[in-house]
Amino acid sequence: MAKKIDAKSFAAQKRKRRQWLTFVRMVRYGVNNFSRNAWLTVAATAVMTITLLIVFMTLAARSTLETTVADIRSKVDISIYVKNDIEESDVAAITEDLQKLDSVRNINYVSPEEARGDFAKKNSNDAGALNALNEATNKFPGIIRVNLVDINETGELDTFVKNNENYNAAKDPDREPSFAGERRTAIQNIGRWVDFADRAGLGASIVFVIISSLIVFNTIRMAIFNRKEEIQMMKLIGADRSFIRGPFIVEAVVYGFIAAVLATGLGLLALYSAQDSLLSYQVAIGPTLDFIFKYLGFILLGMIGVGATIGVISSLFATHKYLKI
Amino acid sequence: MILLDRVTKTYGKTMKPALNRISLHVEPKEFVILVGTSGAGKSTLLKLLTREEKPTSGKIVVGGIDYDSLKDRHIPLLRRKVGVVFQDFKLLPQRTVYENIAFALEIAGMTSREIKSTVPKVIELVGLAGKEKSFPNQLSGGERQRVAIARAVVRQPKILIADEPTGNLDPKHSWDIIKLLEKINRYGTTVILTTHNVDIVNKLKRRVVTLDGGKITSDQSQGSYRQ
Repeated sequence: MAKKIDAKSFAAQKRKRRQWLTFVRMVRYGVNNFSRNAWLTVAATAVMTITLLIVFMTLAARSTLETTVADIRSKVDISIYVKNDIEESDVAAITEDLQKLDSVRNINYVSPEEARGDFAKKNSNDAGALNALNEATNKFPGIIRVNLVDINETGELDTFVKNNENYNAAKDPDREPSFAGERRTAIQNIGRWVDFADRAGLGASIVFVIISSLIVFNTIRMAIFNRKEEIQMMKLIGADRSFIRGPFIVEAVVYGFIAAVLATGLGLLALYSAQDSLLSYQVAIGPTLDFIFKYLGFILLGMIGVGATIGVISSLFATHKYLKI
Repeated sequence: MILLDRVTKTYGKTMKPALNRISLHVEPKEFVILVGTSGAGKSTLLKLLTREEKPTSGKIVVGGIDYDSLKDRHIPLLRRKVGVVFQDFKLLPQRTVYENIAFALEIAGMTSREIKSTVPKVIELVGLAGKEKSFPNQLSGGERQRVAIARAVVRQPKILIADEPTGNLDPKHSWDIIKLLEKINRYGTTVILTTHNVDIVNKLKRRVVTLDGGKITSDQSQGSYRQ
């Protein structure tokens, strides 16, 4: 009995060693193919690099777009005007009521004195404007600046200005809240534009990634088409499917790896050098760059994963056709 | 060693059969030459033997393996037992002479040590010593065919199928290849050779099986052939 088990475990050991040997050989063949098919290697790696660069830049652009959009959202605020002679306690009461609203993110109060100071500062070179400040009738209202969670959702605030007693008692009779008057359309337009940019960005990212994956698929398919006779010959001299496919898969992983490193490097370089000129258009890629540097290892791994996956799937599809005999 | 019993192969339903109820028996260690014009059915017969094609009807047994009970996943194992040489060599262009021959052993899972001891002997046998590191495109047609033969026999198959191995070669190199096949046959391997070369067939004085229109029209030991 003991002898039988020994024989079994010996056979299993032998099988394992053989599998390991086969694996090592497949890797060696894959790396050999990569280094010996110079032209195909350069072409496939270049296409893969471009694909991954598109993926990288698309994601970076999306992240930048999101930061910029968030930035615009936080900058767009709605002003509610209150009487010049309002008491601090009344302001506190209104602010407290406003804070209870779900659609409100944060609130800033600019007192009439501060508003006056701001105006004077802004118009320090304009004698006419400064003179106007001294006219008794030109009183500054207090301004409650409200940031909304979503600038398209002003409904709740609308009801608030209509019904809130504290506000109605203290409101500036000459000035309507900004979202209720002319500025309302402007604010709504910004809101719509930001939403559109967000959706269009997502759509474009998906389309780019799909198109570039198809290009890689086609390149690898052509590379394998070039070697279809080789594949058929391997089959005829008795190679297993896995042994034939293995080197192609290894090759695809090598493409993916090199392309991922190149694409990440090139992408970072591009973002870094474009940083200043983009800033002049109010597009801040600083947060995106910070994020990339913080998680560079994971991002690189992710890129290698994406590259290798596209490569391996393409290879599997492309070799399938020639493995039938 | 090889047994075909009333084998028919038809491509498409309305076509004339490429092989029509063929029966053939080849003994171990025999050297058989298959002759016939293009379209006579030689290539189809070889494709059936290497299981590139399945017969429409009839029975095939090669080296004790009954093809009826052969599962698809065991086809690679069968092909490792039957060496094949092609007219167009079918070498791996990116690999050296040594690697091309070693490849046949690697796919069979042999260890590196076994490969290192076997491959040089076969290279010596086919007369390519010194060319181990050459790539196929650096070799002449005759040399390439030697590499193909070395790859086919390195696993010591019981059967070697040579499909027009001299088709692309000049007379001198053709004879070198035929002599090599005879040498391999003397070591005990059954050889099936197809050729159009009348000179080779008539000088070899071996068993000649003639195919015509998908049927065996003659089967002579020490036969001859006229085109």
